Amino acid sequence: MRRRKYNLGNAIYFTMNGAILAFLLAPIAIITVFALNSAPYISFPPTGFTLGWFSKFFSSPEFMNAFALSLQVAAAVLILSMLIGGLCALALARGNLPGNRVLTAFFMSPLMLPAILTGLALFQIYLLMGIGRPIWGLIMGHTLVAVPYVLRTTLAVLHNFDRKIEEAAAIHGAPPARVFFEITLPLIRPGVLAGGIFAFIVSFDQFPISLFLVAPGGETLPVVLFNYMKFDLDGAIAAASMVSILMAIAVVVLLEKVIGLKAYVKL
Amino acid sequence: MAKRLEDRQPRGPRVSPIAWAIGPALLLFVLFFVLPFGAMALLSFLSGNPVANPNVSFTTRHYERFFADSLYFEALISTLRIGVITTFFSLLIGYPLAHWMARIHSRTGHALLLMAVIAPMLTGVVVRTFAWMTLLQDQGVINVALMDWGITDQPLKLMYNELGTIVALVHIYVPFLVLTLTGVIGRIDERLEQAARSLGANQLRAFIEVTLPLSLPGILAGSLLVFALSISAYVTPFLLGGTDVLTLPMLIYQQVAASFNLGFAGALGVVLLAVSLVVVITYNKVLGHFAGGEKMA
Repeated sequence: MRRRKYNLGNAIYFTMNGAILAFLLAPIAIITVFALNSAPYISFPPTGFTLGWFSKFFSSPEFMNAFALSLQVAAAVLILSMLIGGLCALALARGNLPGNRVLTAFFMSPLMLPAILTGLALFQIYLLMGIGRPIWGLIMGHTLVAVPYVLRTTLAVLHNFDRKIEEAAAIHGAPPARVFFEITLPLIRPGVLAGGIFAFIVSFDQFPISLFLVAPGGETLPVVLFNYMKFDLDGAIAAASMVSILMAIAVVVLLEKVIGLKAYVKL
Repeated sequence: MAKRLEDRQPRGPRVSPIAWAIGPALLLFVLFFVLPFGAMALLSFLSGNPVANPNVSFTTRHYERFFADSLYFEALISTLRIGVITTFFSLLIGYPLAHWMARIHSRTGHALLLMAVIAPMLTGVVVRTFAWMTLLQDQGVINVALMDWGITDQPLKLMYNELGTIVALVHIYVPFLVLTLTGVIGRIDERLEQAARSLGANQLRAFIEVTLPLSLPGILAGSLLVFALSISAYVTPFLLGGTDVLTLPMLIYQQVAASFNLGFAGALGVVLLAVSLVVVITYNKVLGHFAGGEKMA
Protein backbone atom coordinates (compact mmCIF):
# COMPACT_ATOMS: atom_id res chain seq x y z
CA MET A 1 0.00 0.00 0.00
CA ARG A 2 1.58 3.22 -1.15
CA ARG A 3 -1.02 5.18 0.79
CA ARG A 4 0.58 4.27 4.13
CA LYS A 5 3.86 5.94 3.16
CA TYR A 6 4.26 9.34 4.78
CA ASN A 7 3.92 12.21 2.35
CA LEU A 8 2.57 15.70 2.25
CA GLY A 9 -0.66 14.63 0.57
CA ASN A 10 -1.48 12.23 3.38
CA ALA A 11 -0.59 14.80 6.02
CA ILE A 12 -3.00 17.31 4.46
CA TYR A 13 -5.66 14.63 4.03
CA PHE A 14 -5.64 13.57 7.66
CA THR A 15 -5.27 17.08 9.09
CA MET A 16 -8.24 18.19 7.05
CA ASN A 17 -10.33 15.21 8.17
CA GLY A 18 -9.29 15.75 11.78
CA ALA A 19 -10.49 19.34 11.56
CA ILE A 20 -13.79 18.23 10.01
CA LEU A 21 -14.34 15.67 12.77
CA ALA A 22 -13.62 18.37 15.34
CA PHE A 23 -16.15 20.65 13.64
CA LEU A 24 -18.73 17.86 13.86
CA LEU A 25 -18.10 16.81 17.44
CA ALA A 26 -16.75 19.83 19.35
CA PRO A 27 -20.03 21.79 19.40
CA ILE A 28 -21.75 18.78 20.93
CA ALA A 29 -18.97 18.17 23.43
CA ILE A 30 -18.84 21.81 24.53
CA ILE A 31 -22.40 21.54 25.87
CA THR A 32 -21.00 19.40 28.73
CA VAL A 33 -18.98 22.41 29.90
CA PHE A 34 -22.07 24.62 30.12
CA ALA A 35 -24.21 21.95 31.76
CA LEU A 36 -21.69 21.77 34.62
CA ASN A 37 -20.68 25.44 34.78
CA SER A 38 -21.95 27.32 37.82
CA ALA A 39 -22.23 30.75 36.09
CA PRO A 40 -25.85 31.96 36.01
CA TYR A 41 -25.79 32.42 32.22
CA ILE A 42 -24.05 30.68 29.39
CA SER A 43 -20.58 32.20 29.46
CA PHE A 44 -17.05 31.16 28.81
CA PRO A 45 -14.63 30.28 30.36
CA PRO A 46 -16.41 28.26 33.08
CA THR A 47 -16.30 29.71 36.57
CA GLY A 48 -17.08 26.72 38.76
CA PHE A 49 -18.58 23.26 38.96
CA THR A 50 -22.22 22.51 39.71
CA LEU A 51 -24.80 19.81 39.20
CA GLY A 52 -27.48 22.40 39.89
CA TRP A 53 -28.58 22.68 36.27
CA PHE A 54 -29.37 18.99 36.12
CA SER A 55 -31.40 19.20 39.32
CA LYS A 56 -33.17 22.27 37.91
CA PHE A 57 -34.03 20.31 34.77
CA PHE A 58 -35.16 17.18 36.58
CA SER A 59 -37.18 19.05 39.22
CA SER A 60 -38.92 21.52 36.91
CA PRO A 61 -42.47 20.35 36.22
CA GLU A 62 -42.44 22.26 32.93
CA PHE A 63 -39.39 20.38 31.64
CA MET A 64 -40.43 17.06 33.16
CA ASN A 65 -43.97 17.11 31.70
CA ALA A 66 -42.52 17.91 28.30
CA PHE A 67 -39.89 15.20 28.67
CA ALA A 68 -42.51 12.62 29.63
CA LEU A 69 -44.76 13.65 26.74
CA SER A 70 -41.88 13.44 24.27
CA LEU A 71 -41.00 9.95 25.51
CA GLN A 72 -44.62 8.79 25.26
CA VAL A 73 -45.08 10.17 21.77
CA ALA A 74 -41.76 8.65 20.68
CA ALA A 75 -42.76 5.26 22.11
CA ALA A 76 -46.07 5.34 20.23
CA VAL A 77 -44.28 6.37 17.04
CA LEU A 78 -41.79 3.53 17.51
CA ILE A 79 -44.59 0.93 17.57
CA LEU A 80 -46.74 2.48 14.84
CA SER A 81 -43.90 3.11 12.43
CA MET A 82 -42.53 -0.43 12.89
CA LEU A 83 -45.91 -1.92 12.09
CA ILE A 84 -46.82 0.35 9.21
CA GLY A 85 -43.31 0.66 7.78
CA GLY A 86 -42.50 -3.02 8.17
CA LEU A 87 -45.67 -4.11 6.36
CA CYS A 88 -45.16 -1.49 3.68
CA ALA A 89 -41.60 -2.68 3.07
CA LEU A 90 -42.83 -6.27 2.68
CA ALA A 91 -45.44 -5.17 0.17
CA LEU A 92 -42.92 -3.14 -1.80
CA ALA A 93 -40.26 -5.84 -1.85
CA ARG A 94 -42.42 -8.95 -2.23
CA GLY A 95 -45.79 -7.77 -3.51
CA ASN A 96 -44.87 -7.44 -7.21
CA LEU A 97 -46.75 -4.16 -7.23
CA PRO A 98 -46.85 -2.17 -10.43
CA GLY A 99 -45.20 1.22 -10.13
CA ASN A 100 -42.96 0.02 -7.33
CA ARG A 101 -40.31 2.70 -7.84
CA VAL A 102 -42.82 5.55 -7.77
CA LEU A 103 -44.50 4.10 -4.67
CA THR A 104 -41.18 3.80 -2.87
CA ALA A 105 -40.28 7.39 -3.76
CA PHE A 106 -43.72 8.49 -2.55
CA PHE A 107 -43.35 6.77 0.82
CA MET A 108 -39.85 8.20 1.25
CA SER A 109 -40.89 11.74 0.32
CA PRO A 110 -41.76 13.02 3.84
CA LEU A 111 -38.01 12.95 4.50
CA MET A 112 -37.22 15.45 1.79
CA LEU A 113 -40.32 17.61 1.71
CA PRO A 114 -40.09 20.39 4.30
CA ALA A 115 -41.29 19.03 7.64
CA ILE A 116 -42.49 22.51 8.51
CA LEU A 117 -44.97 22.21 5.63
CA THR A 118 -46.14 18.84 6.88
CA GLY A 119 -46.74 20.59 10.21
CA LEU A 120 -48.58 23.48 8.57
CA ALA A 121 -50.68 21.20 6.36
CA LEU A 122 -51.69 18.96 9.28
CA PHE A 123 -52.47 22.02 11.40
CA GLN A 124 -54.71 23.36 8.65
CA ILE A 125 -56.61 20.15 8.04
CA TYR A 126 -57.11 19.52 11.77
CA LEU A 127 -58.48 23.04 12.00
CA LEU A 128 -60.77 22.60 8.99
CA MET A 129 -62.13 19.38 10.41
CA GLY A 130 -62.53 20.83 13.88
CA ILE A 131 -60.24 18.22 15.41
CA GLY A 132 -58.17 20.68 17.42
CA ARG A 133 -54.73 19.58 18.59
CA PRO A 134 -55.06 16.14 20.17
CA ILE A 135 -52.00 14.07 21.06
CA TRP A 136 -52.94 11.41 18.51
CA GLY A 137 -52.78 14.07 15.83
CA LEU A 138 -49.21 14.83 16.87
CA ILE A 139 -48.36 11.11 16.96
CA MET A 140 -49.71 10.58 13.42
CA GLY A 141 -47.66 13.53 12.17
CA HIS A 142 -44.51 12.08 13.73
CA THR A 143 -45.32 8.60 12.45
CA LEU A 144 -45.62 9.96 8.92
CA VAL A 145 -42.03 11.22 8.96
CA ALA A 146 -40.78 8.15 10.86
CA VAL A 147 -42.19 5.47 8.52
CA PRO A 148 -39.59 6.22 5.80
CA TYR A 149 -36.77 5.30 8.20
CA VAL A 150 -38.30 1.92 8.98
CA LEU A 151 -39.04 1.44 5.30
CA ARG A 152 -35.45 2.11 4.35
CA THR A 153 -33.77 -0.23 6.83
CA THR A 154 -36.32 -2.99 6.24
CA LEU A 155 -36.08 -2.71 2.44
CA ALA A 156 -32.28 -2.80 2.75
CA VAL A 157 -32.52 -6.06 4.72
CA LEU A 158 -35.10 -7.52 2.33
CA HIS A 159 -32.96 -6.76 -0.70
CA ASN A 160 -29.90 -8.21 0.97
CA PHE A 161 -31.22 -11.64 1.78
CA ASP A 162 -31.72 -14.21 -0.88
CA ARG A 163 -35.29 -14.68 -1.92
CA LYS A 164 -34.45 -18.30 -2.71
CA ILE A 165 -34.48 -19.10 1.01
CA GLU A 166 -38.20 -18.32 1.06
CA GLU A 167 -38.75 -20.14 -2.23
CA ALA A 168 -36.90 -23.19 -0.92
CA ALA A 169 -39.15 -23.32 2.13
CA ALA A 170 -42.22 -23.01 -0.08
CA ILE A 171 -41.04 -25.73 -2.43
CA HIS A 172 -40.54 -28.05 0.53
CA GLY A 173 -44.19 -27.60 1.35
CA ALA A 174 -44.30 -24.80 3.89
CA PRO A 175 -47.54 -22.83 3.57
CA PRO A 176 -47.13 -19.07 2.97
CA ALA A 177 -47.92 -18.21 6.58
CA ARG A 178 -45.24 -20.55 7.85
CA VAL A 179 -42.71 -19.20 5.37
CA PHE A 180 -43.51 -15.72 6.62
CA PHE A 181 -43.27 -16.48 10.33
CA GLU A 182 -40.31 -18.83 10.20
CA ILE A 183 -38.19 -17.32 7.44
CA THR A 184 -39.16 -13.80 6.44
CA LEU A 185 -40.03 -12.35 9.83
CA PRO A 186 -36.86 -13.46 11.68
CA LEU A 187 -34.76 -12.21 8.77
CA ILE A 188 -36.30 -8.75 8.57
CA ARG A 189 -36.58 -8.27 12.34
CA PRO A 190 -33.25 -6.42 12.72
CA GLY A 191 -34.19 -4.05 9.90
CA VAL A 192 -37.60 -3.28 11.37
CA LEU A 193 -36.17 -2.91 14.86
CA ALA A 194 -33.35 -0.62 13.74
CA GLY A 195 -35.85 1.48 11.82
CA GLY A 196 -38.06 1.65 14.91
CA ILE A 197 -35.18 2.78 17.12
CA PHE A 198 -34.35 5.42 14.54
CA ALA A 199 -38.01 6.45 14.43
CA PHE A 200 -38.00 6.78 18.22
CA ILE A 201 -35.12 9.26 18.30
CA VAL A 202 -36.44 11.13 15.24
CA SER A 203 -39.76 11.59 17.01
CA PHE A 204 -38.08 12.55 20.29
CA ASP A 205 -36.11 15.28 18.50
CA GLN A 206 -38.87 16.28 16.08
CA PHE A 207 -39.41 20.01 16.06
CA PRO A 208 -41.16 21.60 13.05
CA ILE A 209 -44.23 19.34 13.04
CA SER A 210 -44.59 19.59 16.81
CA LEU A 211 -44.35 23.38 16.62
CA PHE A 212 -47.65 23.47 14.75
CA LEU A 213 -49.42 20.58 16.45
CA VAL A 214 -48.77 20.88 20.18
CA ALA A 215 -51.49 22.35 22.33
CA PRO A 216 -50.55 25.16 24.75
CA GLY A 217 -49.42 23.57 28.01
CA GLY A 218 -48.85 20.24 26.25
CA GLU A 219 -45.59 20.94 24.43
CA THR A 220 -42.92 18.38 23.64
CA LEU A 221 -39.41 18.84 25.01
CA PRO A 222 -37.84 20.40 21.87
CA VAL A 223 -40.66 22.98 21.72
CA VAL A 224 -40.26 23.82 25.41
CA LEU A 225 -36.50 24.16 24.98
CA PHE A 226 -36.99 26.39 21.93
CA ASN A 227 -39.44 28.65 23.74
CA TYR A 228 -37.10 28.85 26.74
CA MET A 229 -34.12 29.69 24.52
CA LYS A 230 -35.95 32.61 22.96
CA PHE A 231 -35.68 34.43 26.29
CA ASP A 232 -33.13 32.68 28.46
CA LEU A 233 -29.84 31.03 27.74
CA ASP A 234 -28.71 29.25 30.87
CA GLY A 235 -27.34 25.95 32.08
CA ALA A 236 -30.77 24.34 32.31
CA ILE A 237 -30.86 24.23 28.51
CA ALA A 238 -27.38 22.72 28.51
CA ALA A 239 -28.46 20.07 31.02
CA ALA A 240 -31.54 19.23 28.95
CA SER A 241 -29.35 19.09 25.86
CA MET A 242 -26.99 16.67 27.61
CA VAL A 243 -29.90 14.32 28.26
CA SER A 244 -30.83 14.49 24.60
CA ILE A 245 -27.22 13.93 23.47
CA LEU A 246 -26.80 10.93 25.77
CA MET A 247 -29.96 9.45 24.26
CA ALA A 248 -28.55 9.98 20.76
CA ILE A 249 -25.32 8.23 21.75
CA ALA A 250 -27.24 5.35 23.34
CA VAL A 251 -29.27 4.98 20.14
CA VAL A 252 -26.14 4.98 17.96
CA VAL A 253 -24.57 2.22 20.07
CA LEU A 254 -27.84 0.27 20.01
CA LEU A 255 -28.16 0.59 16.22
CA GLU A 256 -24.58 -0.58 15.75
CA LYS A 257 -25.46 -3.69 17.81
CA VAL A 258 -28.83 -4.37 16.15
CA ILE A 259 -28.05 -3.91 12.48
CA GLY A 260 -24.66 -2.24 12.17
CA LEU A 261 -24.46 1.42 11.29
CA LYS A 262 -23.37 0.49 7.79
CA ALA A 263 -27.03 0.12 6.89
CA TYR A 264 -27.30 3.89 7.10
CA VAL A 265 -24.58 4.58 4.59
CA LYS A 266 -27.08 4.62 1.76
CA LEU A 267 -29.16 7.31 3.44
CA MET B 1 -54.13 -5.33 -19.54
CA ALA B 2 -52.90 -8.08 -17.27
CA LYS B 3 -50.65 -9.23 -20.06
CA ARG B 4 -49.06 -5.83 -20.39
CA LEU B 5 -48.55 -5.57 -16.63
CA GLU B 6 -46.76 -8.87 -16.74
CA ASP B 7 -44.41 -7.58 -19.40
CA ARG B 8 -43.48 -4.64 -17.23
CA GLN B 9 -42.74 -6.86 -14.24
CA PRO B 10 -39.50 -8.69 -14.87
CA ARG B 11 -39.18 -9.96 -11.28
CA GLY B 12 -42.54 -11.59 -10.75
CA PRO B 13 -45.49 -12.30 -12.90
CA ARG B 14 -48.44 -11.59 -10.61
CA VAL B 15 -49.29 -9.09 -7.92
CA SER B 16 -48.91 -11.20 -4.81
CA PRO B 17 -51.31 -11.12 -1.83
CA ILE B 18 -48.47 -9.61 0.20
CA ALA B 19 -49.17 -6.39 -1.70
CA TRP B 20 -52.11 -5.81 0.69
CA ALA B 21 -49.58 -5.10 3.42
CA ILE B 22 -49.19 -1.68 1.83
CA GLY B 23 -52.69 -0.81 3.11
CA PRO B 24 -51.88 0.78 6.49
CA ALA B 25 -49.10 2.90 5.01
CA LEU B 26 -51.32 4.00 2.15
CA LEU B 27 -54.09 4.93 4.57
CA LEU B 28 -51.67 6.89 6.76
CA PHE B 29 -50.21 8.73 3.80
CA VAL B 30 -53.55 9.57 2.21
CA LEU B 31 -55.11 10.83 5.44
CA PHE B 32 -52.12 12.58 6.98
CA PHE B 33 -50.05 13.58 3.98
CA VAL B 34 -51.95 13.89 0.69
CA LEU B 35 -55.18 15.31 2.15
CA PRO B 36 -53.45 17.87 4.41
CA PHE B 37 -51.27 19.12 1.56
CA GLY B 38 -54.39 19.31 -0.57
CA ALA B 39 -56.09 21.35 2.15
CA MET B 40 -53.08 23.62 2.31
CA ALA B 41 -53.19 24.20 -1.44
CA LEU B 42 -56.96 24.75 -1.31
CA LEU B 43 -56.73 27.27 1.53
CA SER B 44 -54.12 29.22 -0.39
CA PHE B 45 -56.77 29.92 -3.05
CA LEU B 46 -59.59 30.81 -0.64
CA SER B 47 -60.42 34.27 0.64
CA GLY B 48 -60.88 33.04 4.20
CA ASN B 49 -61.36 30.08 6.50
CA PRO B 50 -64.34 28.09 5.13
CA VAL B 51 -65.18 26.74 8.59
CA ALA B 52 -65.46 30.10 10.29
CA ASN B 53 -66.90 31.95 7.32
CA PRO B 54 -69.35 30.28 4.92
CA ASN B 55 -69.06 33.05 2.29
CA VAL B 56 -65.55 32.34 1.15
CA SER B 57 -64.65 32.66 -2.51
CA PHE B 58 -61.78 31.62 -4.70
CA THR B 59 -59.06 34.19 -5.00
CA THR B 60 -55.45 34.52 -6.12
CA ARG B 61 -54.81 37.45 -3.83
CA HIS B 62 -52.47 35.53 -1.53
CA TYR B 63 -50.20 34.82 -4.47
CA GLU B 64 -50.53 38.39 -5.75
CA ARG B 65 -49.48 39.59 -2.33
CA PHE B 66 -46.44 37.32 -2.41
CA PHE B 67 -45.25 38.67 -5.74
CA ALA B 68 -46.28 42.28 -5.11
CA ASP B 69 -44.42 42.81 -1.87
CA SER B 70 -40.65 42.63 -2.28
CA LEU B 71 -40.30 41.54 1.38
CA TYR B 72 -41.75 38.14 0.59
CA PHE B 73 -39.90 37.67 -2.64
CA GLU B 74 -36.65 38.61 -0.91
CA ALA B 75 -37.40 36.02 1.77
CA LEU B 76 -37.64 33.39 -0.98
CA ILE B 77 -34.36 34.58 -2.48
CA SER B 78 -32.57 34.55 0.88
CA THR B 79 -33.97 31.08 1.64
CA LEU B 80 -32.56 29.81 -1.64
CA ARG B 81 -29.26 31.65 -1.13
CA ILE B 82 -28.81 30.18 2.36
CA GLY B 83 -29.65 26.75 0.89
CA VAL B 84 -27.07 27.06 -1.89
CA ILE B 85 -24.27 28.34 0.38
CA THR B 86 -25.04 25.69 3.02
CA THR B 87 -24.96 22.98 0.36
CA PHE B 88 -21.67 24.25 -1.08
CA PHE B 89 -19.86 24.23 2.26
CA SER B 90 -21.41 20.93 3.31
CA LEU B 91 -20.00 19.42 0.15
CA LEU B 92 -16.62 21.00 0.78
CA ILE B 93 -16.26 19.52 4.25
CA GLY B 94 -18.39 16.44 3.69
CA TYR B 95 -16.46 15.06 0.76
CA PRO B 96 -13.09 14.48 2.49
CA LEU B 97 -14.79 12.80 5.44
CA ALA B 98 -16.91 10.60 3.18
CA HIS B 99 -13.82 9.64 1.19
CA TRP B 100 -11.96 8.68 4.35
CA MET B 101 -14.93 6.69 5.61
CA ALA B 102 -15.32 4.84 2.33
CA ARG B 103 -11.62 4.01 2.07
CA ILE B 104 -10.66 3.23 5.67
CA HIS B 105 -9.67 -0.41 6.03
CA SER B 106 -9.98 -0.89 9.77
CA ARG B 107 -13.45 -2.08 10.73
CA THR B 108 -13.28 -0.41 14.13
CA GLY B 109 -12.15 2.81 12.50
CA HIS B 110 -15.06 2.66 10.10
CA ALA B 111 -17.55 2.02 12.90
CA LEU B 112 -16.13 4.87 15.00
CA LEU B 113 -16.29 7.30 12.09
CA LEU B 114 -19.88 6.28 11.41
CA MET B 115 -20.73 6.91 15.06
CA ALA B 116 -19.05 10.32 14.89
CA VAL B 117 -21.25 11.22 11.92
CA ILE B 118 -24.52 9.64 13.04
CA ALA B 119 -24.49 10.71 16.71
CA PRO B 120 -24.63 14.45 15.86
CA MET B 121 -27.30 13.68 13.25
CA LEU B 122 -29.49 12.08 15.91
CA THR B 123 -29.13 15.06 18.22
CA GLY B 124 -32.07 17.40 17.81
CA VAL B 125 -31.88 20.63 15.79
CA VAL B 126 -32.83 22.67 18.83
CA VAL B 127 -29.94 21.21 20.82
CA ARG B 128 -27.45 21.71 18.00
CA THR B 129 -28.59 25.27 17.41
CA PHE B 130 -28.13 25.88 21.13
CA ALA B 131 -24.60 24.47 20.88
CA TRP B 132 -23.78 26.99 18.16
CA MET B 133 -25.23 29.84 20.21
CA THR B 134 -22.82 29.00 23.05
CA LEU B 135 -19.96 29.06 20.55
CA LEU B 136 -20.88 32.11 18.49
CA GLN B 137 -22.43 34.62 20.91
CA ASP B 138 -20.51 37.67 22.16
CA GLN B 139 -19.52 35.89 25.38
CA GLY B 140 -19.25 32.62 23.49
CA VAL B 141 -16.32 30.26 23.30
CA ILE B 142 -14.94 31.59 20.01
CA ASN B 143 -15.12 35.28 20.85
CA VAL B 144 -13.68 34.80 24.34
CA ALA B 145 -10.80 32.77 22.93
CA LEU B 146 -10.10 35.33 20.19
CA MET B 147 -10.07 38.16 22.72
CA ASP B 148 -7.88 36.22 25.18
CA TRP B 149 -5.32 35.60 22.47
CA GLY B 150 -5.39 39.28 21.60
CA ILE B 151 -6.61 38.68 18.06
CA THR B 152 -9.55 41.06 18.48
CA ASP B 153 -10.40 43.73 21.04
CA GLN B 154 -14.12 43.35 20.91
CA PRO B 155 -16.37 40.40 20.09
CA LEU B 156 -16.92 39.69 16.42
CA LYS B 157 -20.51 39.53 15.22
CA LEU B 158 -20.67 35.82 14.59
CA MET B 159 -24.38 35.30 15.08
CA TYR B 160 -27.67 37.08 14.55
CA ASN B 161 -26.69 37.16 10.90
CA GLU B 162 -26.48 34.89 7.86
CA LEU B 163 -22.95 33.76 8.75
CA GLY B 164 -23.98 32.14 12.04
CA THR B 165 -27.04 30.62 10.42
CA ILE B 166 -25.04 29.01 7.65
CA VAL B 167 -22.29 27.69 9.93
CA ALA B 168 -24.86 25.93 12.09
CA LEU B 169 -26.87 24.66 9.11
CA VAL B 170 -23.73 23.14 7.59
CA HIS B 171 -23.08 21.38 10.90
CA ILE B 172 -26.65 20.13 11.09
CA TYR B 173 -27.00 18.81 7.54
CA VAL B 174 -23.49 17.69 6.57
CA PRO B 175 -24.02 14.17 8.03
CA PHE B 176 -26.73 13.50 5.42
CA LEU B 177 -24.27 14.39 2.68
CA VAL B 178 -21.48 12.32 4.20
CA LEU B 179 -23.67 9.22 4.39
CA THR B 180 -24.89 9.58 0.79
CA LEU B 181 -21.38 10.17 -0.52
CA THR B 182 -19.79 7.36 1.50
CA GLY B 183 -22.12 4.86 -0.14
CA VAL B 184 -21.27 6.08 -3.63
CA ILE B 185 -17.51 6.39 -3.08
CA GLY B 186 -17.49 2.99 -1.40
CA ARG B 187 -18.85 1.39 -4.56
CA ILE B 188 -16.05 2.84 -6.71
CA ASP B 189 -13.39 0.18 -7.17
CA GLU B 190 -10.29 1.34 -5.33
CA ARG B 191 -8.14 -0.46 -7.88
CA LEU B 192 -9.12 2.09 -10.52
CA GLU B 193 -7.33 4.77 -8.55
CA GLN B 194 -4.37 2.45 -7.95
CA ALA B 195 -4.21 1.73 -11.69
CA ALA B 196 -4.09 5.46 -12.42
CA ARG B 197 -1.28 5.82 -9.90
CA SER B 198 0.71 2.94 -11.32
CA LEU B 199 0.41 4.63 -14.71
CA GLY B 200 2.20 7.64 -13.23
CA ALA B 201 -0.54 9.88 -11.89
CA ASN B 202 0.11 11.28 -8.44
CA GLN B 203 -2.43 10.86 -5.64
CA LEU B 204 -4.19 14.14 -6.31
CA ARG B 205 -4.42 13.62 -10.06
CA ALA B 206 -5.66 10.06 -9.64
CA PHE B 207 -8.35 11.40 -7.32
CA ILE B 208 -9.38 14.27 -9.60
CA GLU B 209 -9.45 12.21 -12.78
CA VAL B 210 -10.82 8.92 -11.47
CA THR B 211 -12.61 9.03 -8.13
CA LEU B 212 -14.11 12.50 -8.33
CA PRO B 213 -15.94 12.05 -11.66
CA LEU B 214 -17.17 8.59 -10.62
CA SER B 215 -18.60 10.01 -7.41
CA LEU B 216 -20.60 12.66 -9.25
CA PRO B 217 -23.97 10.94 -8.67
CA GLY B 218 -23.28 10.97 -4.92
CA ILE B 219 -22.28 14.63 -5.06
CA LEU B 220 -25.47 15.48 -6.89
CA ALA B 221 -27.83 13.38 -4.75
CA GLY B 222 -26.22 14.47 -1.48
CA SER B 223 -26.26 18.13 -2.48
CA LEU B 224 -29.92 18.01 -3.44
CA LEU B 225 -30.73 16.35 -0.11
CA VAL B 226 -28.87 19.00 1.90
CA PHE B 227 -30.43 21.78 -0.18
CA ALA B 228 -33.94 20.42 0.37
CA LEU B 229 -33.32 20.15 4.12
CA SER B 230 -31.71 23.55 4.56
CA ILE B 231 -34.40 25.54 2.72
CA SER B 232 -36.95 24.14 5.15
CA ALA B 233 -34.98 24.94 8.32
CA TYR B 234 -36.85 26.99 10.89
CA VAL B 235 -35.16 26.83 14.31
CA THR B 236 -31.64 27.67 13.18
CA PRO B 237 -32.38 30.79 11.09
CA PHE B 238 -34.83 31.92 13.77
CA LEU B 239 -32.39 31.67 16.68
CA LEU B 240 -29.09 32.35 14.92
CA GLY B 241 -30.31 34.72 12.23
CA GLY B 242 -31.85 37.26 14.54
CA THR B 243 -33.46 40.16 12.72
CA ASP B 244 -30.96 39.90 9.86
CA VAL B 245 -32.37 36.72 8.40
CA LEU B 246 -35.90 36.14 7.16
CA THR B 247 -36.58 32.86 5.41
CA LEU B 248 -39.73 31.34 3.98
CA PRO B 249 -40.25 28.85 6.85
CA MET B 250 -39.95 31.72 9.34
CA LEU B 251 -42.53 33.73 7.40
CA ILE B 252 -44.85 30.75 7.25
CA TYR B 253 -44.88 30.19 10.98
CA GLN B 254 -45.21 33.92 11.60
CA GLN B 255 -48.30 34.03 9.36
CA VAL B 256 -49.91 31.25 11.39
CA ALA B 257 -48.87 32.19 14.92
CA ALA B 258 -48.91 35.99 14.77
CA SER B 259 -51.31 36.93 11.97
CA PHE B 260 -53.39 33.75 11.82
CA ASN B 261 -53.58 34.24 8.05
CA LEU B 262 -53.96 30.62 6.98
CA GLY B 263 -54.53 31.47 3.34
CA PHE B 264 -51.36 33.45 2.99
CA ALA B 265 -49.41 30.86 5.04
CA GLY B 266 -50.78 28.27 2.62
CA ALA B 267 -49.65 30.29 -0.39
CA LEU B 268 -46.15 30.64 1.08
CA GLY B 269 -46.25 26.92 1.77
CA VAL B 270 -47.19 26.14 -1.81
CA VAL B 271 -44.26 28.25 -3.06
CA LEU B 272 -41.82 26.42 -0.76
CA LEU B 273 -43.42 23.10 -1.70
CA ALA B 274 -42.99 23.85 -5.41
CA VAL B 275 -39.27 24.50 -4.93
CA SER B 276 -38.90 21.33 -2.82
CA LEU B 277 -40.80 19.18 -5.29
CA VAL B 278 -38.46 20.21 -8.10
CA VAL B 279 -35.53 19.24 -5.87
CA VAL B 280 -37.09 15.93 -4.77
CA ILE B 281 -38.02 14.89 -8.30
CA THR B 282 -34.53 15.73 -9.56
CA TYR B 283 -33.09 13.75 -6.64
CA ASN B 284 -35.15 10.69 -7.51
CA LYS B 285 -34.20 11.03 -11.18
CA VAL B 286 -30.53 11.18 -10.24
CA LEU B 287 -30.79 8.12 -8.02
CA GLY B 288 -32.90 6.27 -10.57
CA HIS B 289 -30.59 7.14 -13.43
CA PHE B 290 -27.42 6.03 -11.70
CA ALA B 291 -28.89 3.03 -9.97
CA GLY B 292 -30.11 1.67 -13.31
CA GLY B 293 -33.04 -0.61 -12.77
CA GLU B 294 -32.03 -1.40 -9.22
CA LYS B 295 -34.36 -0.22 -6.48
CA MET B 296 -33.00 2.37 -4.13
CA ALA B 297 -33.45 1.59 -0.48
